[in-house]
Amino acid sequence: MLRGFNESVDKTVRGAEALVHRAAIVGAGHTRFGALEDGPRTLVRAAVESAFRSVDKGADRKDVREAFLSTLGFGGAQIGNSAAVLAEEAGVVGVPVTRVENACASGGFALRSAVGAIASGATPLVLVVGVEKMTDVSNARRRYWLGVSGDTEWERLAGLTFAGVYGLIASRYFAEHGDASEALAEVASKNHENGALNPNAHFQKRVSRSEVLSAPRVADPLGLYDCCPVSDGAAAVLLASPEVARKFTDSPVYIDGVGAGTDYLAVQERAMLTRFRATQRAAHEAFRSAGWHRSDVSFLEVHDCFTIAELLALEDLGFARPGEAAALTLSGETRRDGRIPVNPDGGLKAKGHPIGATGVSQAYEIYLQLRGAAQSRQVAHASHALAHNVGGAGATATVSLFSVG
Amino acid sequence: MRNVVRVAAYLPVGSSGGSRVAAADEDEFTLAATALERAWSNPADAVEPVVVHALGEFPPMVDWGFAGVLGREVAVIRHRPTASELARALRSLEEGEGGHAVVVTAELPERSSDADPAKPPAPGAAAVAFMLAASNKSRPFSLSKGTSDRSAVSSALRAKGSDAEATPDATFIGDWDASPGKGRPIDAEATRRAANRDLSGRSEGAYVPRPRYIENLPSRWRFGAQECDACHFTTFPARGVCRRCGRRDALTSATLPRDGLHVIATTTIGKGGQPTEFDGQVEAAGPYDVALVEFPNGIRVTLQVTDTVPGRVKVGDTVNTLLRRLYPMEEEWRYGRKAVPVDPSTR
Repeated sequence: MLRGFNESVDKTVRGAEALVHRAAIVGAGHTRFGALEDGPRTLVRAAVESAFRSVDKGADRKDVREAFLSTLGFGGAQIGNSAAVLAEEAGVVGVPVTRVENACASGGFALRSAVGAIASGATPLVLVVGVEKMTDVSNARRRYWLGVSGDTEWERLAGLTFAGVYGLIASRYFAEHGDASEALAEVASKNHENGALNPNAHFQKRVSRSEVLSAPRVADPLGLYDCCPVSDGAAAVLLASPEVARKFTDSPVYIDGVGAGTDYLAVQERAMLTRFRATQRAAHEAFRSAGWHRSDVSFLEVHDCFTIAELLALEDLGFARPGEAAALTLSGETRRDGRIPVNPDGGLKAKGHPIGATGVSQAYEIYLQLRGAAQSRQVAHASHALAHNVGGAGATATVSLFSVG
Repeated sequence: MRNVVRVAAYLPVGSSGGSRVAAADEDEFTLAATALERAWSNPADAVEPVVVHALGEFPPMVDWGFAGVLGREVAVIRHRPTASELARALRSLEEGEGGHAVVVTAELPERSSDADPAKPPAPGAAAVAFMLAASNKSRPFSLSKGTSDRSAVSSALRAKGSDAEATPDATFIGDWDASPGKGRPIDAEATRRAANRDLSGRSEGAYVPRPRYIENLPSRWRFGAQECDACHFTTFPARGVCRRCGRRDALTSATLPRDGLHVIATTTIGKGGQPTEFDGQVEAAGPYDVALVEFPNGIRVTLQVTDTVPGRVKVGDTVNTLLRRLYPMEEEWRYGRKAVPVDPSTR
């Protein structure tokens, strides 16, 4: 049974046809992440305004002929047709807008759709906005929405939220590779340290490894500090075709490759808990289409919704061999001044995780970093970056590769 | 005249004030269903139709629920849980014609909401389920070990068995030999509160429409799977199509083993980490474990762990499974299998 599964996935990976086209980011905007007073419309408007303000030579909203909205619709206040809300708040009513929903990977998939729209030649400028408003609903409703993207019947109604599913994954990782509690605590501590330097981050305070390890257990072996917070926030990027990018800025950031993948929704149907096939496929496709090697990458923005997810990401993306991400993390190499910095903006863990905004926020951070504008959290000599965005417990994933040239 | 050939009994593992007490996720249906399915595991019993004489306060859903447990058509005849009703049921069992008949009963403590929490449960506040199966084989039976003597039902059963001999294939399940008080301590009052909770309005929306719940019952209750005759792949949960080759016309129903499953991964859900559907359970019974378990053929399923102290089950352990209450939805309890550690030291 398991062999059949592996064969079919390997075949899928081998047969992946890479999307070979580029797009350029010419502007990016971001709101504060956290428990905010602002509603979703205000957040969208603020992120879009911030993105337009950031365009070095200015951009006209009339140049936007297509837009994508990334949101889960958390809380259920506006699940259907929220695309029109983006059109209104961005001041582009009339322009086609598509809402993209792939749970926590919505942002990465929206970005991927935008790259496709640029490649189609139909529009010189594409607006991508990610938003989520999560803190204005009751505790019970919030817990429902936090689990809505997992398998409902066989996982959630066995008593698991996503913390529980990642708790299962962590226990399996420990069983296969030994207790990695210390490495998980280091992931949290490192990302909080980075978040402390990010004025947009939900949490801007440091947390020690021992604080992480002694926190109350949410889904053992994961404790409170192993989990990303519930946050409000929005992010926006403006994508242009490489041909017209310099009309907007002299230093665009190029998307050299995008990859995406899917997996079985419920982890019980997968051959392995400690590998995300969707991530592996997405990475394979992205690197192939960009023609990059792993060694080209200056830093990573990975989907650390739970600390264990950062270890899995390092392995699935090809930056650590299976079981070796814990040692890599403990060696300090993934710190901001390490050999391969991971989540210099604080990651989902400290920056916050407004679901639909996250994938777009990663592109925002990379835009800043590659243009040398990340201030106190700037990664030295950053020229190539990777963004990794996961939906749920690995059922969907995207990988995007960015460079300055 | 036919003889009763198999006896299965199931007693809750929990105890309180010297009495056996059902856990928060047990009720009359799960107790009876557990006895029923254990006694019915013999392939030689594959005779139809089946008549189930149900003695006790069973919810209306047993009319289709017992059929769901056994995976066969079942006619349910209800009786009041008294000695005379039991005698009547046993008589009809012996005199019945055409196929198997069983008597199943379960007894739970009074679930009055105004019970005094300081007062220990009254004598007889134990849950017990018996299943007696009849066939044309000439085998006498007896309940060879002491049963609960607290109820009219069990007294009647003992009386019935007193002049018969033990039968080798009588099946006793549950913690039959253990003296009361040995099992997992349970806050009986909290359990009662959980059992009495209003079933409506607890879910914040994790929704399994009832037709989908019913459709998935064979997989949820009996681990029903489908084997593909063409490529020999086993699809679970059963979906009417082979997961590997996509054929719909070469599927044979199969049942995966309900015991001896292997724990692949485990987590302990702390307070606040549970979906809202499990708020009542956490309130009554505290944190719980969830495990990803594997059948011998490599198929996996995610199950809640029950009848154990949270955090004890480890990767590599072996578990058996039982039908239990899962969650309330649309004003009824939804049921499914949960894992129970085989090694008593992990309980």
